[in-house]
Amino acid sequence: MNNLQKNRLYDTTFKYFGIACTSFGLIVLTIFLVDIIIEGAQRIDWDFLMNLPSRRPQKAGILTAWTGTAWILGLTAIISIPFGVAAGVYLEEYGKKSRLATIIEINIANLAGVPSIIYGLLGLEIFVRVFNFGGSLMAGAFTLALLILPIIIVATREALKAVPSTLRQASFGMGATKWQTIWYQVLPASSGGILTGIILALSRAVGETAPLIVIGALAYVPFVAKSPLDEFTVLPMQIFNWVSRPQHGFVVNAAAAIIILLLITFVMNGIAVYLRNKWQKKVNW
Amino acid sequence: MDIITTKNVNAYYGDNHVLKDITLEIEQNSVTAFIGPSGCGKSTFLRTLNRMNDYIDGFRKDGNIIVDGQDIYDKSVRVEELRQKIGMVFQKPNPFPKTIFENVAYGLKIQGVKDKTKIAEVVEESLKQSALWEEVKDDLNKSALSLSGGQQQRLCIARTLAVQPSIILMDEPASALDPISTAKIEELIAQLKEDYTIVIVTHNMQQASRISDKTAFFYMGDMIEYDKTKDIFTHPKNERTENYITGRFG
Amino acid sequence: MSNAMSNLDPELEALKHNLVDMLGLVNSQLSKCKEATLNEDLNLAKEVVSREKRVNALDLAIDKDCENILALYTPVATDLRFVLASLKISNDLERIGDNAEGIAGLLIHVMEKANEEMISKFKLNEMFDVTISMLSDMEEAVENEDTTLARQIFAKDEFLNENNRNADSIAKELIQQYPDNIKLILKLFSIVRKLERVGDLAKNIGEEVIFHIEAKVLKHKKDQKKKKK
Repeated sequence: MNNLQKNRLYDTTFKYFGIACTSFGLIVLTIFLVDIIIEGAQRIDWDFLMNLPSRRPQKAGILTAWTGTAWILGLTAIISIPFGVAAGVYLEEYGKKSRLATIIEINIANLAGVPSIIYGLLGLEIFVRVFNFGGSLMAGAFTLALLILPIIIVATREALKAVPSTLRQASFGMGATKWQTIWYQVLPASSGGILTGIILALSRAVGETAPLIVIGALAYVPFVAKSPLDEFTVLPMQIFNWVSRPQHGFVVNAAAAIIILLLITFVMNGIAVYLRNKWQKKVNW
Repeated sequence: MDIITTKNVNAYYGDNHVLKDITLEIEQNSVTAFIGPSGCGKSTFLRTLNRMNDYIDGFRKDGNIIVDGQDIYDKSVRVEELRQKIGMVFQKPNPFPKTIFENVAYGLKIQGVKDKTKIAEVVEESLKQSALWEEVKDDLNKSALSLSGGQQQRLCIARTLAVQPSIILMDEPASALDPISTAKIEELIAQLKEDYTIVIVTHNMQQASRISDKTAFFYMGDMIEYDKTKDIFTHPKNERTENYITGRFG
Repeated sequence: MSNAMSNLDPELEALKHNLVDMLGLVNSQLSKCKEATLNEDLNLAKEVVSREKRVNALDLAIDKDCENILALYTPVATDLRFVLASLKISNDLERIGDNAEGIAGLLIHVMEKANEEMISKFKLNEMFDVTISMLSDMEEAVENEDTTLARQIFAKDEFLNENNRNADSIAKELIQQYPDNIKLILKLFSIVRKLERVGDLAKNIGEEVIFHIEAKVLKHKKDQKKKKK
């Protein structure tokens, strides 16, 4: 077999190998989804969504869980977005290219990979005990904000890096100050990338359980949180709680709750993809 | 009357001595061309005139650069004001990813001008001056990126004109354009000369000979010869200049 | 600083080659005229007349070379001056060629009858020698880009001019001496005139060579000096 035939063979082999791997992933995901849906879809009704948890599976609902998730999402966003974006802008636009800057950059990337339970322990000490927030939404939000901060910072920096220097030069050439350039040109041009990063970071926060358990989110919360200092629970925790119960009814409940959680995650990621595509059409470098 | 005077300007990128003792005067309302092979320092020198080199780490200079009687590197000079007086057009057209109107109005916006009528007037005037008005007047809210390369470059010129500079620096403004767009830009430069002083860096010697009044030849950081364009191209005084313009090196 | 070749150099070399060829050809035309006069050789004179075509052909070839170079290479500085000078030099050479042909034509008519006294009174041989040496000088000056040699031409032209000025009175003398040969004498007189014109044209060539090499324009300078006086 000559070279051309060999290369063609490699080509075809790799193509089918790729298809097989992709299919494998898709098939497994599909099996999982189908299984969950079969298990839990019939359980989802208005009562399920609006009921408080209960010892009896037929009566138990996810009201406190999904409102808790909504609260956590909102508070975490409010805390993490300004800090994360500002830090990203500062490090990328104002930071001098020094050894210190490189060290900071490496460490922030590392922080993104630290296991979330470590953040939980950190949050427990600082926010629950020292700040005295107790096992409340505030403590949870701050902890999660710390967790996703590195993600937002890195995403912001990458989005800013993708803005070509010619744009900044054009702005400076017209007599704009550094801040004007950032505010009027660089941030708008990178907003798509930053937004995508934020949404992905938040959708990670939505799924976190371990740190929240550590800081004291409860498994059984029979009331809807009304203020940030209230105690709370979130969907993943509720699912975790139900799965460990013996009654089969709770397994069904857990499946139903998983569907809701997956829905939230898919919707958030969908928004991120939509925004990214829309942004890419607008700005063609 | 000389509007720009440079005396013994030396520039360094770190240890690299990139400009060696450049002394020249540029007359008001003239077109001056800087020519020379790649890496000779002509673009670097152009950028010292509006302090765009300030952003490069490790750049330093000595010597004086005096514009309109003032040393532009003096501590009291506000560099933003300087750049409104000395505009710059870049090699690759770089309009902002905004509408045509917003592009031209940007200079006014950052100065804090709020009067919408005035802004609209200035935008129209600038687009007319840069020979783009007729082509875009029907839809100023179109994205600037939807224009052709030549149109984008004229847009960049328009936005520079909007802040009423007295000097316009051009760094190879036509090198990324097709011949017809290039011709339009050259025509524009000939018209702009009446109201502005233009300094243009170019790789294209025929362009330099077509549009400039005086030409400076740079080589390896030195300014070898600076004279009337007519004289440089019919009988240059320096052998290196002659070798460069006859294509025997570089 | 390297003296690299540009694309243009072969074209310029070819142009120079043509120019030197034309100089040589015209020079040989004049030499033949001189020899024809010395040896009363009718055939040589006829050769000159028929060779004139070749001179014109070279003129056209040089014109074409220059046109192409200007259009394709937009030469500047010394290259441009060389092309401009070549255009003018070829024009001058073409007219010298015309003059040589004219002289040959006249010789054909007077060949049988001219006597040595008339020829030596008019100093025809010397004039031939001077013009031939002027053209040889120019051939060398163009080939070697030698402006010192080019400058020597002005003195030689002076000799021709002076001779021309004297030709009037010499002709008068000869007519008184040989009243039956007026036509002949007038024809010899014409040859003197033509040689003087050749000298002027050769001087122009010298000025063009200096323009090319030194970017100095010498033509019309002497006229200006005369006007000032």
